[in-house]
Amino acid sequence: MITGEQKPVREIRRMIAPYKRILVLGCGSCVAECASGGEKETAMLASALRMAARMNDEDVVIEEMTLDRQCVMEFVIQLDKSIDPYDAVLSLGCGAGVQAVADMYPEVPIIPGLNTEFLGETKAQGVWAETCLGCGDCMLYDFGGICPLARCSKQILNGPCGGSVDGKCEVNPDIPCAWQLIIDRLDKFGALDRLEEIYPPKDWSTKQGGGPRKIIREDQQK
Amino acid sequence: MSHESQLKNVLVQGKFAVTAECGPPKGADPEVILKKGELLRGMVDAVNVTDNQTAIVRMSSLAACGLLKTAGLDPVLQMVVRDRNRISLQSDILGASALGIRNVLCLSGDHQIFGNQPQALGVFDLDSIQFVQVVKGMRDDGVITGGDSLDHKPDMFIGAAANPFADPLRFRIVRLAKKIKAGADFIQTQCIYNLDRFETWLSMAADKGLTEKAFILGGVTPLKSAGMAKYMKNKVAGMDIPDDVIKRMEGVPKDKQREEGINICVETILRLKELSGVSGVHIMAIEWEEAVGEIVKRAGLYPRPALCRA
Amino acid sequence: MIKGKRRKLALFYCQNVPESREKDRQALEEDCGDAISLFPMPCSGRVEPVHLLRALEEFADAAYVIACPEGACRNFEGNLRAKKRIERTRSIIETIGLERERVGLMVCSKENPRPLAVLAREIMNKVSSLGPSPALGPEALNDEEKGI
Repeated sequence: MITGEQKPVREIRRMIAPYKRILVLGCGSCVAECASGGEKETAMLASALRMAARMNDEDVVIEEMTLDRQCVMEFVIQLDKSIDPYDAVLSLGCGAGVQAVADMYPEVPIIPGLNTEFLGETKAQGVWAETCLGCGDCMLYDFGGICPLARCSKQILNGPCGGSVDGKCEVNPDIPCAWQLIIDRLDKFGALDRLEEIYPPKDWSTKQGGGPRKIIREDQQK
Repeated sequence: MSHESQLKNVLVQGKFAVTAECGPPKGADPEVILKKGELLRGMVDAVNVTDNQTAIVRMSSLAACGLLKTAGLDPVLQMVVRDRNRISLQSDILGASALGIRNVLCLSGDHQIFGNQPQALGVFDLDSIQFVQVVKGMRDDGVITGGDSLDHKPDMFIGAAANPFADPLRFRIVRLAKKIKAGADFIQTQCIYNLDRFETWLSMAADKGLTEKAFILGGVTPLKSAGMAKYMKNKVAGMDIPDDVIKRMEGVPKDKQREEGINICVETILRLKELSGVSGVHIMAIEWEEAVGEIVKRAGLYPRPALCRA
Repeated sequence: MIKGKRRKLALFYCQNVPESREKDRQALEEDCGDAISLFPMPCSGRVEPVHLLRALEEFADAAYVIACPEGACRNFEGNLRAKKRIERTRSIIETIGLERERVGLMVCSKENPRPLAVLAREIMNKVSSLGPSPALGPEALNDEEKGI
């Protein structure tokens, strides 16, 4: 899923300051899973913002609503019947959600309430970790299911470097050395000799080569 | 001016080589690097110039190497893959060769978070092993990544770094083998204080025939103080400083610690000289280049072989 | 503009806390009168930050939770979740400049269980010193001045 964290309240208040009628818009998908932009978090933020407004004698109406997904046009369009009264939308969707709403309602300022972070997994309750870079050319099989691009701080394909300590990355001891994980995993499969071959340079064109990427599936189109 | 690698000539002739490291300044003054070069002249066969070490912005290694070359020294251009993509790395190899630089050390580089530019984008387009392979392709086959031909091949003696003391231990020899397979002609190791452990690594390398395939230069760093020793032991990854080395440093008064550091360094070099499989020593006396001369002399490595002429 | 009458305290309490059954609640309401709004919960773990925030936003100077002693929760972890959620709520109100102490948790003692009424009074005393909440707006302050 895509993860993100709420921007600091101070920053949010600064961005919404010019507006008088604000809709705080949550998303029921990824950001709900990582507890930053779902229905609960939307209600919490809206309440806090209303209190802050009152405490600062600000005349503003702040209401809330949550869509199932903010990144899918068919869900966003549900706003057609609700968006009129508002002069700005504070979106707690990820960057894709914010932009989807902005594309649908270009006259309404859509303000991001989250800092979108990474593609990752829920490792444990309350813990999310980055695991995928979206490189467009998945090599996970070669590395026993552990991505050296997303999980090695230096994106080394012929690792490890010399900096790990006790299986932890030199950049941050909370980060397991991805190469330690890869070695251990391939060892379990009896495939360590795979690492004796020199892995060639990555083809980054599947990530960056054509500018912002698009997928079109004719069989899926109307 | 000779455009051959002095380092390569010394090693190929079977002599024990000496290299030393020198760091460019945090500024644009060429005199700083030239002065350091003078301290090392005649004491070493080649001078490694670091590349924005610890991710701190310094004068470029390529420029500093160019300056040392004009001063008649044999530079080793250290290049990290952190800051440049394959276009610029290959371009710099061509430029270095054009300037008469004949040695390159291909490194990963410290992560950008450690330096004074933590907000910078780390490039890491290639890793250090791929980079070695790329340079070899340029030198031997005259091709760049993607297969296009060069109209003039660069001439480079290719080096890589090795750390006999890093995690995971069992993988160190595999990694060394990979670097040599990729095309490394010489290897410079992380600084050695634990000779027993180094010898274990070395014999494992020899078992795999690696000491026949590449020249291994053992790294040494003279300790300036007991504090430095403890810092390196506890805070620097991939370092093995045995307790008795710390005790030795602590056992002498503060004003004698530098001397003791040099003593330990010289003793280490003398032991390295006796190990078959070790072809030379790499002295990393960062910001203490003055000590190199004394170390080289006391280790019986002075004078250095005369400069080979092309 | 607040919803309904202003209260000094919104109290969310676990119904498994000793002496917190219906009759206790009624007795308590009579005793404390208008100052407290009571919310019986099946477990303190059912209290969400948004309940506390809405209480502060809509009518209460303070919002507290009473939970069972650690290790004694009938749902095993409810009181632990309550603790974490209260901390989260405190961080949130801190970011808008509201005193952290307006939200809190009181954990019953296993050795010395005291009736709900006693606990409620204790919390009231604690939060009284904070005065009316600025989050309720200047109206609330005027109420106080008027001695309401």
